[in-house]
Amino acid sequence: MPGRIPRVTHTAAIVLRYRRLGEADRIITLLTPTRGKIDVIAKGVLRSKSRMGGHLEPLTLVEVVLAHGRTMDVVTQAQTIEAFPDVHANLDRLSAAMYLLELADRITIEHADAEGLHDLLHTALVRLARGDGQQVVQRTFELALLEATGFRPELTTCLRCSEPVAAEEAWWAPVEGGVLCASCARTDGGAQPIDATALRVLRAFQSQPYEDAGRIRLSDELAARMEQAMHALMRAVVERDLKSAQFVSAARRARVAGEGLDEAELAKDDE
Amino acid sequence: MNDGRDPFLPGASSPIARLVEAFHRLPGIGPKSAQRLAYHILRAQEAEAQELADALVEVKRSIVFCAQCQNLTSRTPCEICTDASRDRHLICVVEEPLDVLAIERTNGFRGLYHVLHGVISPSDGVGPEDLKIAELLARLRDVETEVAEIIVATNPNLEGEATAMYLGRLLRPLGIRVTRLARGLPAGADLEYADDVTLGRALEFRQEVT
Ligand SMILES: [Zn+2]
Repeated sequence: MPGRIPRVTHTAAIVLRYRRLGEADRIITLLTPTRGKIDVIAKGVLRSKSRMGGHLEPLTLVEVVLAHGRTMDVVTQAQTIEAFPDVHANLDRLSAAMYLLELADRITIEHADAEGLHDLLHTALVRLARGDGQQVVQRTFELALLEATGFRPELTTCLRCSEPVAAEEAWWAPVEGGVLCASCARTDGGAQPIDATALRVLRAFQSQPYEDAGRIRLSDELAARMEQAMHALMRAVVERDLKSAQFVSAARRARVAGEGLDEAELAKDDE
Repeated sequence: MNDGRDPFLPGASSPIARLVEAFHRLPGIGPKSAQRLAYHILRAQEAEAQELADALVEVKRSIVFCAQCQNLTSRTPCEICTDASRDRHLICVVEEPLDVLAIERTNGFRGLYHVLHGVISPSDGVGPEDLKIAELLARLRDVETEVAEIIVATNPNLEGEATAMYLGRLLRPLGIRVTRLARGLPAGADLEYADDVTLGRALEFRQEVT
Protein backbone atom coordinates (compact mmCIF):
# COMPACT_ATOMS: atom_id res chain seq x y z
CA MET A 1 0.00 0.00 0.00
CA PRO A 2 1.51 3.34 -0.97
CA GLY A 3 1.69 6.15 1.55
CA ARG A 4 3.97 7.70 4.07
CA ILE A 5 5.65 5.36 6.50
CA PRO A 6 5.40 7.02 9.91
CA ARG A 7 8.66 7.96 11.52
CA VAL A 8 9.16 5.83 14.59
CA THR A 9 11.40 6.52 17.58
CA HIS A 10 12.34 4.50 20.63
CA THR A 11 13.05 6.29 23.88
CA ALA A 12 13.22 5.78 27.61
CA ALA A 13 10.99 8.17 29.58
CA ILE A 14 9.61 8.87 33.02
CA VAL A 15 5.80 9.24 33.03
CA LEU A 16 5.02 12.55 34.78
CA ARG A 17 1.23 12.64 34.47
CA TYR A 18 -1.69 12.05 32.15
CA ARG A 19 -5.03 13.51 31.28
CA ARG A 20 -8.03 11.93 29.66
CA LEU A 21 -8.72 12.36 25.98
CA GLY A 22 -12.17 11.28 24.84
CA GLU A 23 -13.61 7.93 25.90
CA ALA A 24 -10.58 5.65 26.11
CA ASP A 25 -7.46 7.65 25.20
CA ARG A 26 -4.99 9.60 27.27
CA ILE A 27 -2.48 12.35 26.72
CA ILE A 28 0.65 11.26 28.57
CA THR A 29 3.34 13.73 29.66
CA LEU A 30 6.78 12.13 29.43
CA LEU A 31 10.20 13.35 30.53
CA THR A 32 12.72 11.93 28.06
CA PRO A 33 16.53 12.01 28.15
CA THR A 34 16.98 13.66 24.73
CA ARG A 35 13.72 15.45 23.86
CA GLY A 36 12.90 16.88 27.27
CA LYS A 37 9.22 17.00 28.24
CA ILE A 38 6.78 15.83 25.57
CA ASP A 39 3.06 15.11 25.40
CA VAL A 40 2.10 11.94 23.55
CA ILE A 41 -1.20 10.22 22.82
CA ALA A 42 -1.89 6.71 24.14
CA LYS A 43 -4.90 5.22 22.39
CA GLY A 44 -7.32 2.86 24.08
CA VAL A 45 -5.43 2.75 27.41
CA LEU A 46 -8.63 3.15 29.42
CA ARG A 47 -9.99 -0.13 28.03
CA SER A 48 -9.39 -3.00 30.43
CA LYS A 49 -7.78 -5.13 27.71
CA SER A 50 -5.22 -2.47 26.79
CA ARG A 51 -1.71 -3.88 26.64
CA MET A 52 -0.13 -0.50 27.42
CA GLY A 53 -2.34 0.93 30.17
CA GLY A 54 -0.51 -0.24 33.26
CA HIS A 55 2.87 0.63 31.76
CA LEU A 56 1.99 4.30 31.35
CA GLU A 57 1.16 5.20 34.96
CA PRO A 58 2.90 8.24 36.49
CA LEU A 59 6.04 7.41 38.47
CA THR A 60 7.15 4.72 36.02
CA LEU A 61 10.33 4.55 33.96
CA VAL A 62 9.26 3.15 30.60
CA GLU A 63 10.63 2.28 27.20
CA VAL A 64 8.22 3.57 24.57
CA VAL A 65 7.92 3.37 20.82
CA LEU A 66 6.49 6.57 19.37
CA ALA A 67 5.00 7.04 15.93
CA HIS A 68 5.32 10.55 14.60
CA GLY A 69 1.91 12.21 14.57
CA ARG A 70 0.57 15.44 13.13
CA THR A 71 0.30 17.36 16.38
CA MET A 72 1.52 14.81 18.92
CA ASP A 73 3.40 11.54 18.74
CA VAL A 74 1.41 8.38 19.36
CA VAL A 75 2.59 5.61 21.69
CA THR A 76 2.55 2.30 19.83
CA GLN A 77 4.36 0.19 22.45
CA ALA A 78 5.21 0.66 26.12
CA GLN A 79 7.21 -1.53 28.46
CA THR A 80 7.99 -0.83 32.12
CA ILE A 81 11.70 -0.63 32.94
CA GLU A 82 11.29 0.38 36.60
CA ALA A 83 8.04 0.82 38.55
CA PHE A 84 9.65 1.85 41.89
CA PRO A 85 7.61 -0.52 44.10
CA ASP A 86 9.63 0.53 47.15
CA VAL A 87 8.48 4.14 46.63
CA HIS A 88 4.85 2.98 46.46
CA ALA A 89 5.26 1.04 49.70
CA ASN A 90 5.53 4.11 51.96
CA LEU A 91 3.40 7.27 51.99
CA ASP A 92 6.31 9.62 52.80
CA ARG A 93 8.30 8.30 49.85
CA LEU A 94 5.24 8.26 47.61
CA SER A 95 4.20 11.84 48.41
CA ALA A 96 7.83 12.98 47.97
CA ALA A 97 7.93 11.28 44.56
CA MET A 98 4.66 12.97 43.54
CA TYR A 99 6.25 16.28 44.51
CA LEU A 100 9.38 15.57 42.43
CA LEU A 101 7.20 14.68 39.44
CA GLU A 102 5.12 17.84 39.77
CA LEU A 103 8.26 19.98 40.10
CA ALA A 104 9.85 18.41 37.01
CA ASP A 105 6.60 18.97 35.13
CA ARG A 106 5.96 22.57 36.20
CA ILE A 107 9.49 23.86 35.81
CA THR A 108 10.01 22.61 32.25
CA ILE A 109 8.44 23.93 29.08
CA GLU A 110 7.44 21.40 26.47
CA HIS A 111 10.19 20.46 24.02
CA ALA A 112 12.49 23.00 25.69
CA ASP A 113 16.07 21.93 26.12
CA ALA A 114 15.94 20.10 29.41
CA GLU A 115 19.09 18.11 29.19
CA GLY A 116 19.95 16.29 32.36
CA LEU A 117 16.52 16.71 33.97
CA HIS A 118 15.50 13.16 33.14
CA ASP A 119 18.65 11.85 34.82
CA LEU A 120 18.19 14.17 37.82
CA LEU A 121 14.65 12.91 38.35
CA HIS A 122 15.60 9.30 37.79
CA THR A 123 18.47 9.52 40.29
CA ALA A 124 16.21 11.14 42.90
CA LEU A 125 13.55 8.43 42.47
CA VAL A 126 16.17 5.69 42.81
CA ARG A 127 17.38 7.35 46.04
CA LEU A 128 13.83 7.49 47.42
CA ALA A 129 13.29 3.85 46.49
CA ARG A 130 16.40 2.64 48.30
CA GLY A 131 15.36 4.46 51.48
CA ASP A 132 17.62 7.54 51.53
CA GLY A 133 16.37 10.36 53.77
CA GLN A 134 13.36 11.92 52.02
CA GLN A 135 14.33 15.42 53.14
CA VAL A 136 17.82 15.12 51.70
CA VAL A 137 16.51 13.66 48.43
CA GLN A 138 13.85 16.38 48.00
CA ARG A 139 16.04 19.34 48.98
CA THR A 140 19.02 18.24 46.84
CA PHE A 141 16.67 17.59 43.90
CA GLU A 142 15.15 21.07 44.24
CA LEU A 143 18.59 22.68 44.34
CA ALA A 144 19.89 20.65 41.37
CA LEU A 145 16.72 21.35 39.39
CA LEU A 146 17.00 25.10 40.05
CA GLU A 147 20.67 25.00 39.06
CA ALA A 148 19.92 23.10 35.82
CA THR A 149 17.13 25.49 34.78
CA GLY A 150 19.02 28.69 35.53
CA PHE A 151 17.34 29.51 38.85
CA ARG A 152 20.27 28.75 41.19
CA PRO A 153 19.26 30.30 44.53
CA GLU A 154 21.70 32.67 46.22
CA LEU A 155 22.26 31.40 49.77
CA THR A 156 25.44 33.21 50.89
CA THR A 157 25.44 36.83 49.69
CA CYS A 158 22.68 39.40 49.88
CA LEU A 159 20.71 39.62 46.63
CA ARG A 160 20.39 43.40 47.02
CA CYS A 161 23.75 44.68 48.29
CA SER A 162 25.93 41.66 47.41
CA GLU A 163 27.51 41.63 50.89
CA PRO A 164 28.16 38.22 52.49
CA VAL A 165 25.34 37.30 54.90
CA ALA A 166 25.89 35.40 58.15
CA ALA A 167 23.35 32.60 58.59
CA GLU A 168 22.17 34.18 61.88
CA GLU A 169 21.34 37.47 60.16
CA ALA A 170 19.87 36.16 56.93
CA TRP A 171 16.34 36.75 55.72
CA TRP A 172 14.62 34.47 53.22
CA ALA A 173 13.29 36.17 50.06
CA PRO A 174 11.64 33.52 47.85
CA VAL A 175 10.57 35.91 45.09
CA GLU A 176 14.11 37.31 44.74
CA GLY A 177 15.49 33.77 44.87
CA GLY A 178 17.59 33.54 48.01
CA VAL A 179 18.81 35.51 51.03
CA LEU A 180 18.89 39.18 51.97
CA CYS A 181 20.91 40.83 54.72
CA ALA A 182 18.93 42.24 57.64
CA SER A 183 19.19 45.86 56.50
CA CYS A 184 18.10 45.16 52.90
CA ALA A 185 15.29 42.89 54.18
CA ARG A 186 13.77 45.85 56.07
CA THR A 187 12.67 47.36 52.75
CA ASP A 188 11.41 44.04 51.33
CA GLY A 189 7.83 43.14 52.24
CA GLY A 190 8.16 39.50 51.11
CA ALA A 191 11.26 38.54 53.12
CA GLN A 192 10.92 36.27 56.17
CA PRO A 193 13.46 35.41 58.86
CA ILE A 194 15.02 31.99 58.24
CA ASP A 195 16.33 29.59 60.87
CA ALA A 196 20.15 29.80 60.87
CA THR A 197 20.67 26.03 61.08
CA ALA A 198 18.18 25.41 58.27
CA LEU A 199 20.08 27.87 56.06
CA ARG A 200 23.47 26.33 56.96
CA VAL A 201 22.23 22.88 55.98
CA LEU A 202 20.78 24.20 52.72
CA ARG A 203 24.18 25.81 51.98
CA ALA A 204 25.85 22.47 52.63
CA PHE A 205 23.34 20.71 50.34
CA GLN A 206 24.08 23.25 47.60
CA SER A 207 27.88 23.08 47.84
CA GLN A 208 28.68 19.50 48.89
CA PRO A 209 28.42 16.22 47.01
CA TYR A 210 25.21 14.28 47.70
CA GLU A 211 27.03 11.56 49.63
CA ASP A 212 28.32 14.12 52.17
CA ALA A 213 25.01 15.97 52.37
CA GLY A 214 23.26 12.68 53.10
CA ARG A 215 25.27 12.24 56.32
CA ILE A 216 23.80 15.37 57.93
CA ARG A 217 21.28 14.37 60.64
CA LEU A 218 18.04 16.31 60.55
CA SER A 219 15.50 16.56 63.35
CA ASP A 220 11.81 16.60 62.31
CA GLU A 221 11.64 20.25 63.34
CA LEU A 222 14.69 21.31 61.31
CA ALA A 223 13.48 19.31 58.32
CA ALA A 224 10.10 21.06 58.51
CA ARG A 225 11.80 24.50 58.53
CA MET A 226 13.94 23.65 55.50
CA GLU A 227 10.90 22.24 53.75
CA GLN A 228 8.90 25.40 54.42
CA ALA A 229 11.67 27.65 53.03
CA MET A 230 12.26 25.55 49.91
CA HIS A 231 8.54 25.10 49.19
CA ALA A 232 8.14 28.89 49.28
CA LEU A 233 11.09 29.25 46.89
CA MET A 234 9.75 26.62 44.45
CA ARG A 235 6.30 28.24 44.55
CA ALA A 236 7.89 31.55 43.57
CA VAL A 237 9.86 29.95 40.72
CA VAL A 238 6.93 28.07 39.15
CA GLU A 239 4.61 30.96 40.00
CA ARG A 240 1.82 28.77 41.35
CA ASP A 241 0.81 26.68 44.35
CA LEU A 242 2.26 23.19 44.36
CA LYS A 243 -0.47 20.87 45.62
CA SER A 244 2.01 18.02 45.91
CA ALA A 245 4.19 20.11 48.25
CA GLN A 246 1.16 20.64 50.49
CA PHE A 247 0.45 16.91 50.34
CA VAL A 248 4.02 16.05 51.43
CA SER A 249 3.50 18.27 54.49
CA ALA A 250 0.00 16.88 55.17
CA ALA A 251 1.29 13.30 55.00
CA ARG A 252 4.11 14.12 57.43
CA ARG A 253 1.75 15.90 59.83
CA ALA A 254 -0.54 12.86 59.80
CA ARG A 255 2.44 10.61 60.60
CA VAL A 256 3.67 12.83 63.42
CA ALA A 257 0.12 13.04 64.84
CA GLY A 258 -0.16 9.24 64.75
CA GLU A 259 3.25 8.77 66.36
CA GLY A 260 2.44 11.37 68.99
CA LEU A 261 -0.65 9.40 69.89
CA ASP A 262 1.32 6.15 70.04
CA GLU A 263 3.79 7.78 72.40
CA ALA A 264 0.96 9.12 74.57
CA GLU A 265 -0.50 5.59 74.68
CA LEU A 266 2.89 4.15 75.63
CA ALA A 267 3.33 6.76 78.34
CA LYS A 268 -0.06 5.78 79.76
CA ASP A 269 0.96 2.12 79.77
CA ASP A 270 4.12 2.99 81.71
CA GLU A 271 2.21 4.48 84.59
CA MET B 1 -25.90 35.17 11.97
CA ASN B 2 -24.60 37.17 9.03
CA ASP B 3 -21.71 38.78 10.78
CA GLY B 4 -19.47 36.46 8.77
CA ARG B 5 -18.57 34.31 11.75
CA ASP B 6 -19.17 30.60 11.94
CA PRO B 7 -22.20 30.24 14.26
CA PHE B 8 -20.79 26.93 15.52
CA LEU B 9 -17.43 28.34 16.39
CA PRO B 10 -16.85 28.34 20.17
CA GLY B 11 -16.34 31.89 21.39
CA ALA B 12 -18.76 33.40 18.89
CA SER B 13 -21.57 35.09 20.80
CA SER B 14 -24.62 33.44 19.17
CA PRO B 15 -27.06 31.25 21.20
CA ILE B 16 -25.90 28.25 19.15
CA ALA B 17 -22.26 28.89 20.05
CA ARG B 18 -23.32 29.15 23.69
CA LEU B 19 -25.00 25.75 23.48
CA VAL B 20 -22.02 24.19 21.65
CA GLU B 21 -19.71 25.51 24.32
CA ALA B 22 -21.97 24.21 27.12
CA PHE B 23 -21.88 20.71 25.58
CA HIS B 24 -18.13 20.98 25.00
CA ARG B 25 -17.57 21.53 28.71
CA LEU B 26 -19.12 18.10 29.49
CA PRO B 27 -16.65 15.26 30.13
CA GLY B 28 -15.76 13.20 27.07
CA ILE B 29 -17.42 15.64 24.61
CA GLY B 30 -15.06 17.00 21.98
CA PRO B 31 -15.81 20.00 19.74
CA LYS B 32 -17.21 17.79 16.96
CA SER B 33 -19.60 15.92 19.28
CA ALA B 34 -20.65 19.22 20.87
CA GLN B 35 -21.61 20.56 17.44
CA ARG B 36 -23.53 17.36 16.60
CA LEU B 37 -25.49 17.54 19.88
CA ALA B 38 -26.29 21.22 19.40
CA TYR B 39 -27.45 20.56 15.85
CA HIS B 40 -29.66 17.73 17.11
CA ILE B 41 -31.31 20.07 19.60
CA LEU B 42 -31.85 22.67 16.89
CA ARG B 43 -33.73 20.19 14.75
CA ALA B 44 -35.68 18.61 17.63
CA GLN B 45 -39.24 19.50 18.71
CA GLU B 46 -39.41 22.30 21.25
CA ALA B 47 -40.95 19.83 23.75
CA GLU B 48 -37.82 17.66 23.59
CA ALA B 49 -35.57 20.63 24.26
CA GLN B 50 -37.82 21.73 27.13
CA GLU B 51 -37.74 18.22 28.61
CA LEU B 52 -33.91 18.25 28.59
CA ALA B 53 -33.76 21.74 30.09
CA ASP B 54 -36.27 20.78 32.84
CA ALA B 55 -34.37 17.57 33.65
CA LEU B 56 -31.11 19.51 34.00
CA VAL B 57 -32.60 22.11 36.33
CA GLU B 58 -34.58 19.50 38.31
CA VAL B 59 -31.52 17.36 39.01
CA LYS B 60 -29.60 20.36 40.30
CA ARG B 61 -32.53 21.42 42.50
CA SER B 62 -33.51 18.09 44.01
CA ILE B 63 -30.23 16.17 44.37
CA VAL B 64 -28.22 16.82 47.52
CA PHE B 65 -25.27 15.27 49.34
CA CYS B 66 -26.25 12.66 51.93
CA ALA B 67 -25.24 14.17 55.28
CA GLN B 68 -23.66 10.85 56.29
CA CYS B 69 -22.12 9.11 53.29
CA GLN B 70 -21.86 12.22 51.03
CA ASN B 71 -23.38 10.27 48.13
CA LEU B 72 -25.75 12.10 45.80
CA THR B 73 -29.34 11.50 46.83
CA SER B 74 -32.81 13.01 46.67
CA ARG B 75 -33.20 12.74 50.46
CA THR B 76 -30.72 12.82 53.32
CA PRO B 77 -29.76 10.54 54.99
CA CYS B 78 -29.95 8.42 51.87
CA GLU B 79 -31.64 5.06 51.32
CA ILE B 80 -28.49 3.05 51.99
CA CYS B 81 -27.58 4.95 55.17
CA THR B 82 -31.10 4.45 56.58
CA ASP B 83 -31.40 0.77 55.55
CA ALA B 84 -31.57 -1.09 58.89
CA SER B 85 -30.46 -4.35 57.29
CA ARG B 86 -27.02 -3.02 56.34
CA ASP B 87 -23.88 -3.78 58.37
CA ARG B 88 -22.89 -0.65 60.32
CA HIS B 89 -19.47 -2.01 61.23
CA LEU B 90 -18.18 -1.59 57.69
CA ILE B 91 -17.68 1.51 55.56
CA CYS B 92 -16.47 1.24 51.99
CA VAL B 93 -14.74 4.46 50.89
CA VAL B 94 -15.03 5.24 47.16
CA GLU B 95 -13.94 8.07 44.87
CA GLU B 96 -17.21 8.75 43.02
CA PRO B 97 -20.97 8.09 43.30
CA LEU B 98 -20.73 5.80 40.25
CA ASP B 99 -18.37 3.54 42.24
CA VAL B 100 -21.19 2.96 44.77
CA LEU B 101 -23.39 1.71 41.93
CA ALA B 102 -20.59 -0.56 40.67
CA ILE B 103 -20.10 -2.16 44.10
CA GLU B 104 -23.87 -2.44 44.69
CA ARG B 105 -24.16 -4.35 41.41
CA THR B 106 -21.84 -7.06 42.77
CA ASN B 107 -24.36 -7.82 45.60
CA GLY B 108 -21.26 -8.71 47.59
CA PHE B 109 -21.18 -5.82 50.03
CA ARG B 110 -23.76 -5.13 52.74
CA GLY B 111 -21.99 -2.35 54.66
CA LEU B 112 -22.21 1.43 54.32
CA TYR B 113 -20.38 3.80 52.00
CA HIS B 114 -18.48 7.05 52.06
CA VAL B 115 -17.99 9.01 48.84
CA LEU B 116 -14.88 11.21 48.71
CA HIS B 117 -15.91 13.00 45.49
CA GLY B 118 -12.44 12.77 44.02
CA VAL B 119 -8.99 11.51 44.77
CA ILE B 120 -5.75 13.15 45.93
CA SER B 121 -4.26 14.31 42.64
CA PRO B 122 -1.75 17.16 42.97
CA SER B 123 -1.25 17.44 39.20
CA ASP B 124 -4.97 18.24 38.89
CA GLY B 125 -4.80 20.62 41.85
CA VAL B 126 -6.70 18.30 44.22
CA GLY B 127 -5.43 17.85 47.78
CA PRO B 128 -6.92 16.02 50.81
CA GLU B 129 -8.70 19.22 51.89
CA ASP B 130 -10.69 19.19 48.62
CA LEU B 131 -12.21 15.78 49.38
CA LYS B 132 -14.92 14.69 51.85
CA ILE B 133 -12.28 13.42 54.31
CA ALA B 134 -13.22 15.74 57.17
CA GLU B 135 -16.80 14.40 56.86
CA LEU B 136 -15.47 10.83 57.11
CA LEU B 137 -13.44 11.67 60.22
CA ALA B 138 -16.49 13.31 61.78
CA ARG B 139 -18.51 10.14 61.12
CA LEU B 140 -15.85 7.97 62.76
CA ARG B 141 -15.37 10.26 65.75
CA ASP B 142 -19.09 10.22 66.47
CA VAL B 143 -19.52 8.63 69.92
CA GLU B 144 -22.27 6.40 68.58
CA THR B 145 -20.20 5.04 65.70
CA GLU B 146 -20.11 1.25 65.39
CA VAL B 147 -17.56 1.27 62.57
CA ALA B 148 -14.79 -1.28 63.01
CA GLU B 149 -13.36 -1.45 59.50
CA ILE B 150 -12.85 0.92 56.59
CA ILE B 151 -12.42 -0.65 53.17
CA VAL B 152 -10.66 1.83 50.89
CA ALA B 153 -11.87 1.13 47.35
CA THR B 154 -10.02 3.86 45.46
CA ASN B 155 -8.76 3.10 41.96
CA PRO B 156 -5.53 1.08 41.65
CA ASN B 157 -3.39 3.94 40.35
CA LEU B 158 -0.95 6.47 41.83
CA GLU B 159 -3.66 8.85 43.06
CA GLY B 160 -5.87 6.10 44.43
CA GLU B 161 -2.92 4.55 46.20
CA ALA B 162 -1.79 7.85 47.74
CA THR B 163 -5.36 8.52 48.91
CA ALA B 164 -5.68 5.05 50.46
CA MET B 165 -2.36 5.32 52.29
CA TYR B 166 -3.16 8.82 53.53
CA LEU B 167 -6.53 7.62 54.88
CA GLY B 168 -4.77 4.68 56.52
CA ARG B 169 -2.41 7.06 58.27
CA LEU B 170 -5.27 9.33 59.44
CA LEU B 171 -7.56 6.54 60.64
CA ARG B 172 -5.08 4.15 62.27
CA PRO B 173 -4.83 6.29 65.44
CA LEU B 174 -8.64 6.02 65.80
CA GLY B 175 -8.23 2.28 66.34
CA ILE B 176 -10.13 1.39 63.18
CA ARG B 177 -8.98 -1.39 60.86
CA VAL B 178 -8.18 0.00 57.40
CA THR B 179 -8.09 -2.37 54.43
CA ARG B 180 -7.77 -1.95 50.66
CA LEU B 181 -9.25 -3.82 47.74
CA ALA B 182 -6.95 -6.60 46.52
CA ARG B 183 -5.13 -5.77 43.32
CA GLY B 184 -4.57 -8.29 40.61
CA LEU B 185 -5.03 -9.13 36.98
CA PRO B 186 -8.29 -7.99 35.39
CA ALA B 187 -10.52 -10.68 33.88
CA GLY B 188 -9.47 -11.37 30.32
CA ALA B 189 -5.94 -10.04 30.86
CA ASP B 190 -2.88 -11.58 29.27
CA LEU B 191 0.10 -12.28 31.56
CA GLU B 192 2.54 -11.44 28.80
CA TYR B 193 1.32 -7.86 28.62
CA ALA B 194 0.66 -7.23 32.31
CA ASP B 195 2.69 -4.40 33.82
CA ASP B 196 5.17 -5.21 36.58
CA VAL B 197 3.21 -3.62 39.42
CA THR B 198 -0.02 -5.46 38.58
CA LEU B 199 1.74 -8.77 38.08
CA GLY B 200 3.74 -8.27 41.28
CA ARG B 201 0.58 -7.56 43.29
CA ALA B 202 -1.23 -10.49 41.70
CA LEU B 203 1.61 -12.74 42.92
CA GLU B 204 1.70 -11.14 46.35
CA PHE B 205 -2.07 -11.54 46.91
CA ARG B 206 -2.29 -15.03 45.38
CA GLN B 207 -4.97 -17.35 46.72
CA GLU B 208 -5.22 -20.98 47.67
CA VAL B 209 -6.65 -23.13 44.86
CA THR B 210 -9.66 -24.83 46.38
ZN1 LIG C 1 -25.94 8.13 52.78
